[in-house]
Parts: sequence; structure tokens; C-alpha cells
Amino acid sequence: MSTRSIGQEFTKGLWNENPVLRQLLGLCPTLAVTGWVINGLAMGLATSFVLIFSSIVVSIIKKLIPSQVRIASYIVIIATFVTVADRFLAAYFPDISKDLGPYVPLIVVNCIILGRQEAFSSKNSVGRSLIDALGMSSGFVLTLLVLSSIREILGSGTYLGHQVMGSWFTPWIIMILPAGAFLALGILLGIALHIEKKTKSRI
Amino acid sequence: MTEKMLITQSSPHFRDKDSVPKIMYAVVISLAPAVFASLYFFRLRALLLLLCCVAACLATEAIFLRLRKKPLQALLDGSAIITGLLLAMTLPPSLPLDMAVIGAVIAIAIGKQVFGGLGYNIFNPALVGRAFLQTAFPVAMTTWIPPLTKTINTATYATPLGDLKFQDAVAQGTLAPLKDLFFGNTGGCLGETSALALIIGGLFLLSRRVIDWRIPLGIILSLSVFTGIFWLANPVKYASPLFHLLAGGLLLGAFFMATDMVTSPITPLGTWVYALGIGIVIGLVRLFGGFPEGVMYSILFMNTFVPLLNRHTRPRILGERRAQ
Amino acid sequence: MKLSVQMVVVLTSVGLLSGSFLATVGILTKERVELNKQREVEAAIIKVVPGTESSTKLYEAKDFKVYGGKNQDGTLIGYGILVSGIGFQDKITLMLGTDISLTKTTRLEIIEQKETPGLGAKIEDEDVFLKFWEGRDCSQAISLRKPAVKTAEELAASEVNTITGATISSESVLKIVNNSVEKLRQLIKEGQIQDGEQDVH
Repeated sequence: MSTRSIGQEFTKGLWNENPVLRQLLGLCPTLAVTGWVINGLAMGLATSFVLIFSSIVVSIIKKLIPSQVRIASYIVIIATFVTVADRFLAAYFPDISKDLGPYVPLIVVNCIILGRQEAFSSKNSVGRSLIDALGMSSGFVLTLLVLSSIREILGSGTYLGHQVMGSWFTPWIIMILPAGAFLALGILLGIALHIEKKTKSRI
Repeated sequence: MTEKMLITQSSPHFRDKDSVPKIMYAVVISLAPAVFASLYFFRLRALLLLLCCVAACLATEAIFLRLRKKPLQALLDGSAIITGLLLAMTLPPSLPLDMAVIGAVIAIAIGKQVFGGLGYNIFNPALVGRAFLQTAFPVAMTTWIPPLTKTINTATYATPLGDLKFQDAVAQGTLAPLKDLFFGNTGGCLGETSALALIIGGLFLLSRRVIDWRIPLGIILSLSVFTGIFWLANPVKYASPLFHLLAGGLLLGAFFMATDMVTSPITPLGTWVYALGIGIVIGLVRLFGGFPEGVMYSILFMNTFVPLLNRHTRPRILGERRAQ
Repeated sequence: MKLSVQMVVVLTSVGLLSGSFLATVGILTKERVELNKQREVEAAIIKVVPGTESSTKLYEAKDFKVYGGKNQDGTLIGYGILVSGIGFQDKITLMLGTDISLTKTTRLEIIEQKETPGLGAKIEDEDVFLKFWEGRDCSQAISLRKPAVKTAEELAASEVNTITGATISSESVLKIVNNSVEKLRQLIKEGQIQDGEQDVH
């Protein structure tokens, strides 16, 4: 059982336990779909949807599930919501769905989601699980947003498809390629660690 | 008591009269013929690119030394100047200067300083910078101009290796003559066109024992054998080994890039494996890959094997027994 | 309740519940998803066969589909061949429009490609590549003009332009097109393509 205040339960996902920057979870979609802000945002929101609803359902039925079959049950629940998200995108946002390709179905194996069920929702009340899921989702969406902003501005000279860099600017094509994803994420992680170190040493 | 009483550094530990600056400035001198050749063939473009790259490398190095609170004297060890020179040597003469600066910053920042500075980097910094530019600006990095000594009136111009790969130059008989390749009267990166200048510089480094002779020899041997087999089998389709040795960045890579002390193996056996591997990968890329030239990627590729080679070719310590 | 029984019951009910939930979602979205796919194909046919008012699916195989474009009167005016093939890095999916006699191309559209951005990806570029594909003589195999030329007038009737620096991607597209035109010609000869059997809205 968590002993944090409600506020801390939410904010821990933003920084101290940020799924990408601090826990290094969910790196596959983080690297793969952040070439453009719109894709990063769609992936972040789809993952959030799955995480929030899975957390609610798991924390409701946590007492009913025998521990031997808990992982199997969690995966079925997660897969259900992933399929819903996948169908929704295919039906209403076909372009984004095409861009994200196999990465939407792959949300099923995103460690952030199963990790939160194991570590949190299966042990805490519905309310706390919801707050925790909201915090983790926000952390994930924000990180994806930052990463995809860097990559889209440098890699295409645009933001959300609008030209933001002048005509003098030649896009750094490497930034929308996988190599650019690794470089940008590496630098982000480095900065995050640096800030963490600074704040710790001050205390 | 402070924690800094014992300073540990990873083995091997050599004692040598040579200091880092002494070696580095020998490399700078050895690059002089190639630098003059590039100035002769590409004039002002070459000068500007060289100046931009060296200045950007020095500036980036200074910023990182400052951030890491290290003495600024380290700037004078010459390593940043060499990275800048070598990077400029691998750039096409028509490359916009801002791109060259980006490449130089990446070379020092990502190629060297994030690993911990001189001596800790896994990859050759200049080649990291070039690899970044190649991927970031593929069009600018594959646009060539003819040397200013040639009076050709075309908008686009191809390197000898580009002709070989994309225009079927062997069958068409339009392959650049070996004489032009030897003196440098062809299209290409700043420092790669003149084989003569590179050989002079390389021999100087060999005579001063700054570089390991096994590396250039191994690369040249394996590339010659590899391309030689195909040439003997079908001389109508494949170019001769001599063409492959003189064209593109091979000599520049073999003498100046692959021989970087930090990123090449330390044992003789490891060095042979490393050098032969580079030659074969270059041959594979040139003959069967999507790119016309493969020197940069093959050196970076073999750089990744260096720690492994060092570990597995380590001579047995006296008295150590082979594991049962 | 015995543990093993509880495990079976829980897993079964979780499975059943999510299964029925997904079935509902699937039914609700099915229509829209298919409509989206259809729209995409239709938009491409209208582009590659100018003057198309309605279209028909004439033939379907793996990675090779033929659509017929019809004008207002419902007469077939051209073919749209939707085909996939190997490019420099990954599959290239394109649609080629030809006239009804299969002697002239009308237009080329790239539907999906993952070529190198800035180089091979120029196969999507109108001015560098696509415009040179209009009105080519495809009664024989089309060939590439190397090195590239500036205007379409410099090309022979059955030649298309190369993208400078992306010869492999240009060649891949050429190969896909030549193969698919040949395949369609064979199908028409064998009488496997009939005009206007099933209508695609």
C-alpha cells in the first residue's frame, strides 16, 4: 500500500519515477514513433488510454484474481484496450494509424503498462490506481512530446506539420531516422540525470 | 583523507618518450601535403572548410573542457585540431559551411567528449562527425564539384567511385584514368583526391613510427585481394585493385583514420584482424553495397570490435595457464 | 472454492468478457475502417486515370491489383495497377495508370515507400520524378535515362528520368512498373480481365 499523498502519487510519474527518463521503460515506442509530434502525441495518448483503463479494471478485480494467473489476466485486459485503441485509430484517424503501423498493437508489450499493474494497481485502491495511471501517462506523453518536438523541428523544420524554420534551414534528416532517435533520447537522458544530480546535491 | 589518493587507469600502461602533443603534431605535419593538394585543387572552398572545421572543433572542445572543469591547456594537445583537419578532409568541397560546423561540433561532442574525452572514445571522432553529416544531409554530402584545375562545364559531377557504381564505368570505358587518381585531378572529398600527397604523409608517419604499419598494410592487402579476385574473374565488370586503392578515401582512411591510436587494437594479432576486416568490408560495400564508397562505415564498424579484439588477443601473462 | 477452479473461472470470464467487448467494438468500427481503405484506393485511381468517375476492381492477387477507371457513360477508359515491390530499403507500393490499350502510361502515384529521406524518397517528388512518368510509351519495356536530364522533351518516348543520387530507388520503381504492365498484358491476353463485373462504388 502506498503512503504518499494524492498529489505526490500524481507528480511522481512526471519526474521522480518518469517511466521513460527515470525507469527507462517503454523505450521501443519512444524511439520508433517520435519522428513527428503528431505521431508521438497519438502514441502517448493511445498508451495513456490503455494504461488508465487497465489500471482501473485491474484494481477493481484485484481481489478476484489468483496470483498464479494474474499476469495472464492482466495481459488479456491490456490487450483488450489496445485493440480498442487500434480499431479507433484505424476508423477515425486512418493516416495516423498508417504511420504508427505495428506500434499500436505493440502497446500490449509496453512495460510501463504491465509494470504499473504489477507494482501498483494490484495492491492499491481504485482511486489511487487512477491517480497513479494519470501521473505515469502524463509523464510518458510529456516525454514523447519533448522528444518528438526536438526531432520534428530539427529533422523536418516543421512543428505539427507547420513550417517553423526559415528557408535558410536545411532539415537534419538524421533526426527523423532511427539514429536521430537514439541520439536525441541519449542527450535527453543525460540532461535528466544531470538535473537529478544537481537537485540531489543541493539537498 | 580524500578519495583521490589512488588514481587508477585502465591497462595497458606504457612508458614512452613520446607525449600526446608530440604525436599529434607529427600527424598535423603529415597531413600538410594533403592539405596543400586540397588547396591546389579546390582553392578557397578548401580553405574555408578547413578553417571552419578546425575552429569549430577547438571551440567545442573548449566548451566541454570548461563544463567538465578541466584545464584549458588540454586544448593545446593537438587532438581537436587533428579531428577538425581530418573531418574537413572527408567533406565534399561544395558542402555549405554551416553543415561543416555542425559536423565538427558533433565530432567533438558526440564522438569524443560524451565518452570522457581523449583516450576514452570508441569511434574515430572525425568519422562520427562525417557519418552524422552523411545521414543528416545526404544530398549535400553526395554533391560533387570538379577540381578547379579541370575545365568542365557541367552542373553535377560524379566521383570516380560514383561513376563505377552508378554509371557502369568499367563497361562504358569511362573510368577515371589512374594518373588523375594518383595526382588528384578528380572529383571527391577535399583530402582524398590526391593519392600522392596521402602517400607522402603516410610514409612520414610510418618513418616516425607514429602509426602501426600493420594497419595500412593490412587494409591495402585485403582490399587488393578481395577486389583482385573479382577483377580477374570478370575484368569487363569489375575495376582493378589498383583503381580501388587509388580512388575514394581508401588511402586517407588507411593512413590517417584507421590508425587512430585510441580506436585501434593494441595487440599485433588484433591489429591484423582489425586491418584485414576493414579492407574486406570496404570491398563488400564498394562492390555490392548501396553506397559507392565504404571507407568511413567500415572503419567505424571495425572500431566497434576493438575492445573485443584487445580482450581476446591479449598475450598470456607469464606463468598463466591455459584454462582446462 | 478450490484454487484451480477459481483460476479457470477467472481466466475464462476475463477472456469471455474482453472477447465479447472486442466483438462489439469490431462491428462498430468495421464499416468505417473499410470505407477508409476504399477511399484511399479510389482517390489514387482518380489521380492516375484522369477523367475517372467511377471505378471497378478487375483483378486481385497478392501485391497486385488491377482497377478499371470509367468515365461518366460507364465506359472503361484506363487501368490503375496497384502493385508492391522491393525498393532500396523496403517495399514500395505504387499505382500506375495506363490507357485502355496498355500502350501509354497516364500517371504514376507512390502510395507507400520507406526509401532514404532526401534521396530515394524523391520518388514521391512531382518535379524530380513523377512528372516524367506521364504519357510514356509502355508498349515496350520502359527504360531509365542516365544521367538525368532536365526536361521531359529530352527523353525518348519510352524513357523516364533517373533521380540523381538515387539510381537504385529509380530502378526499383522502373522494375515494378515494367513487371506489372507485362503481367497485366498477359492477363488480358488470357482473358482473365473482364470489364466491369463487380462495381466498387
